[in-house]
Amino acid sequence: MSDSLIFDRRAVRRHRDRAAATVETVADILADTAGRLLDRLDDTTRIFTRALDVGGRGIVSPLLRARGIETFACDLSPRMAARAGAPAVAADEEFLPFAPHSFDLVVANLSLHWVNDLPGALIQLRHALRPDGLLLASLPALGTLAELRTALTEAEADMSGGAAPRVSPFPDLRDCAALLQRAGFALPVADVEDIKLLYADPLRLLRDLRAAGEANAVALRDRRPPPSALFAHALASMPQQDGRTVATLRLAIMTGWAPGPDQPQPLQPGTAKHSLADALTRPDQDAAI
Amino acid sequence: MSHNTDEVPHVAVDPRLLEVLVCPLTKGPLHYDRAANELVSRAAGLAYPIRDGIPIMLAEDARVLDAP
Repeated sequence: MSDSLIFDRRAVRRHRDRAAATVETVADILADTAGRLLDRLDDTTRIFTRALDVGGRGIVSPLLRARGIETFACDLSPRMAARAGAPAVAADEEFLPFAPHSFDLVVANLSLHWVNDLPGALIQLRHALRPDGLLLASLPALGTLAELRTALTEAEADMSGGAAPRVSPFPDLRDCAALLQRAGFALPVADVEDIKLLYADPLRLLRDLRAAGEANAVALRDRRPPPSALFAHALASMPQQDGRTVATLRLAIMTGWAPGPDQPQPLQPGTAKHSLADALTRPDQDAAI
Repeated sequence: MSHNTDEVPHVAVDPRLLEVLVCPLTKGPLHYDRAANELVSRAAGLAYPIRDGIPIMLAEDARVLDAP
C-alpha cells in the first residue's frame, strides 16, 4: 500500500465491524440524516425500482424497502452489511463488485468519507447505475466536528507542544459538486445543512462516534494511547449552549444523475436563436427567450 | 473455510445477488460454486467466500485459486 493514502481502510473495516453491535445507540442521528437524504426522492416524479444502499448501517435499507423499492446493501464490514438484511454483500467502495446498469438508485448515507479514492468510487457507482439513475449521498463536510478539532488541537498543543490529526479531514462543500461532475454525473447538486448535536455529557459525543464506527482511521494518526488528560481537557474547552456541549455535523447532500438521453442537454455552440447583444441593447423590453 | 457441506448447512445466498455481482478487481463474470459456497473469478484467480449468505467481495478475504 502506498504511503500517501489518507485513510487506513483496515482500521475503517475494524471500526465498522465493532460498531455493528453498537450502532443502534446512534440510530436516531443516522435515521435523521437518512430521512433528510431520502426526502430528496419526493422532489422527483421518478419511480425507483432497484436501489443500492452503500454503508447504510442497517438504517437506510429498511427505509428504502418501506418505500417499495427493492434494495441491495453493501458495506466494507460483513457484520455491518448483515444488519441491512438480504440481499447484502461485503464490498470495498474503492473496488465495487456490481455489474453495469444494475440499479436505478444509489443511496450513501454518511458512508463515503473514509474512502481514499472518492472520485474512483463515484465513477464506479455511476457505472452501476442505469442511464438516468440517481445518486443520493450525504457526507460530513468541512466544518463537521470543528469544535472538537479545535479543542483537541489546542489542548494537545498546550500539553505536549504538538498535535496529531485526531479528526478526519472532510471535503469542502465546493469540492462535493465538483467531485460529482468529475465523476461524470449529470445535473450535479450539492447543498449543506448544519445539524447541531447538544451533549449534556461531552464524553457521550466520543462514545457516539465510536458506536457509529467513526473512530479515527486517518493513516497518519498517532497510534500511541493519547495522554490521559487530553480528552477531558479538550472536551471541557468546547463551546456550550444552555449548559450543553455543542458539536456540529455539517451535512453535505449530493445528488447527481447517471447521464441519460432524455435529460436536458446544453445546446451546441453557435445554435442560439437570439443575440445576447440585441438583448443587452434593448433594456426596456423583456427578453423573450 | 471448510469445504465440508455435510455438517453445517450454508445459509443460501440470495439468488438476486448472483445477477448483479461481478469480480471487484476485473469487473468480469463470477461462477457460483455451490458446493464450495464460493464465487469464483477465474480472470482474477480468486474465490470469494460466502459467509452466512453474505458474499465477501473483498480481495483480502478471497482464496487464491491454484494455477491451472
